[in-house]
Amino acid sequence: MRMTLAVAVLLALLPLGLPPYAMTLLTEALIMGLFAMSLDLMVGYARLISFGHAAAYGLGAYTCGNILLHTDIPLPLAVPMAGVFSGFIGIGIAWVCTQATGVSFSMLTLALAQLLYAVAFKWTSVTGASDGLAGIPRRPGPFGTTYFSTKIGFYYLTMACLFGSFLFARALVRSPFGAVLRGIRENEAKTLSLGYNTRLYKIAVVAASYILGGLAGALYAPFAGFANTELLFWLLSGQVLIMVIVGGTGTLVGPILGAAFFLLVQQQLSTYTDSWALFFGVIFIAFVLFAPEGILGLARRRRSVRSH
Amino acid sequence: MALLELQGLTKRYGGIVAVDNVTMSVEPGEVRAVIGPNGAGKTSLFHLITGVVKPTMGEIVFDGQRVTAMPAFSRCQLGMSRTFQITALFPEMSARENTRLAAQARDKQRWRPLGGGAVFAEASRRGDAALERLGLSHVAERQAGLLSHGDQRLLEVAMALAQQPRLLLMDEPTQGLSVEETAQAVEVLGGLFAGGGLTVLLVEHDMEVVFRLASKMTVLHRGSVIADGDPATVKADPVVQDAYLGGYT
Ligand SMILES: Nc1ncnc2c1ncn2[C@@H]1O[C@H](COP(=O)(O)OP(=O)(O)OP(=O)(O)O)[C@@H](O)[C@H]1O
Ligand SMILES: [Mg+2]
Repeated sequence: MRMTLAVAVLLALLPLGLPPYAMTLLTEALIMGLFAMSLDLMVGYARLISFGHAAAYGLGAYTCGNILLHTDIPLPLAVPMAGVFSGFIGIGIAWVCTQATGVSFSMLTLALAQLLYAVAFKWTSVTGASDGLAGIPRRPGPFGTTYFSTKIGFYYLTMACLFGSFLFARALVRSPFGAVLRGIRENEAKTLSLGYNTRLYKIAVVAASYILGGLAGALYAPFAGFANTELLFWLLSGQVLIMVIVGGTGTLVGPILGAAFFLLVQQQLSTYTDSWALFFGVIFIAFVLFAPEGILGLARRRRSVRSH
Repeated sequence: MALLELQGLTKRYGGIVAVDNVTMSVEPGEVRAVIGPNGAGKTSLFHLITGVVKPTMGEIVFDGQRVTAMPAFSRCQLGMSRTFQITALFPEMSARENTRLAAQARDKQRWRPLGGGAVFAEASRRGDAALERLGLSHVAERQAGLLSHGDQRLLEVAMALAQQPRLLLMDEPTQGLSVEETAQAVEVLGGLFAGGGLTVLLVEHDMEVVFRLASKMTVLHRGSVIADGDPATVKADPVVQDAYLGGYT
């Protein structure tokens, strides 16, 4: 708890000293961090490997984009609304995907995300097809405030979403519900035979994951000012899975660090080479081979070595 | 009234008849052993009773309620707890966490997504009591996957016990144990059953174990029941001698 508070204070103070372009990068890192953390709920705590988590992000982004473009609902309300909507769709997606387990589950998540991607291409009136939604505004309010439309105000809104989500997710994994998820992760057949309706638990955790992932997408739309089909594309699903693994699965915090690390490497390398993804691939393989516990696990390992 | 009744229960896997028209019952308070040679259909029978697989034909009645079509997790909620022939537990959790998760399954608020301190406290209390009854308190904090094979077998029984089951099903609790470990397990289980109050259905290969623990016996051979009664009578039955005991021990 003290650690969480310290990080929150640090992040809250950063805008005072950072130049605008760094603020933009930091805001994006927090959004990606939230997205990666949402996937960790599934991957790290229930061993539900999703190859289609972009679905949650894209759903949140398009929903929030439409709310902001076509209604007067203020930004700080539009964002959670889009998250909840994404969670509802997540229930349906989970209902289909949990018919299968293991690799088949993963393949179904990929298939459904690609289905949404195809729909986004065709449903011009809602998604703007290949042009996407442009000019998504940051609507003022509530109570007439324009604070959240500013660069710094938006940063604090993002930070609040990330910390709120983190506290929620942490409470979730520490609850009786979370204990059942760990049971599913380690031995699903046994968990079932103990009397838990494991499929229901899996659907519930996917829904929670979609709410938080949708929240991240919902922040991205007004952050970037646009939403397009790339937000539903399998490439993003793959990238966020890499962020989770590089950061450290089953830790919530690790994937946030993984996302920041990914963006930093991308930003640094892409100024030198177009094939930066190749280099990140090498980094990813190195992590899988030499530090499967991820960045957070590495940090913890070093700390415990030093204290001995 | 019988706690468990099987009526004409049959399970076919393609051409193989794993369980063939089995009719039997388990009375409250009895410890019944199901014996039979390899492939006799004992584990298949357990899978049918607990709902892991659905029967080809026949009915299962638990406590007066027809449960033939009920999913496995609901049957467990009615009070059936089982252990598996191949140890099934949560290897990365501590022994305590294993029994706690088992006990939690019996709590109405087992799914609570936030808070839940009271749920954990109650489940821990029951889980710890079960560990104690099986003499596992000294390994409670150890990781389950790192326990000795004998302790793992007993831990699985503790998990079932933590659920305060009305019917306890055990599939070969001494499978793969050394002679000393078997003796120790029989000691512990004997003490457990001696207290009374438990209704047990137990698959067992080891005759010594059966005669020490069981008050009733059902003999399966190629999926069918060939004898049923108290151990002494069953042992003397020439059909059983011929099919099983003679060739086996
Ligand atoms: N899923 C399955 N598919 C096909 N055949 C099966 C299946 N499960 C069991 N069988 C067959 O059913 C028969 C009974 O098997 P079962 O495992 O119930 O025997 P068992 O009495 O428990 O034997 P053991 O003493 O070796 O544990 C065997 O011939 C087995 O090959
Ligand atoms: Mg068997």
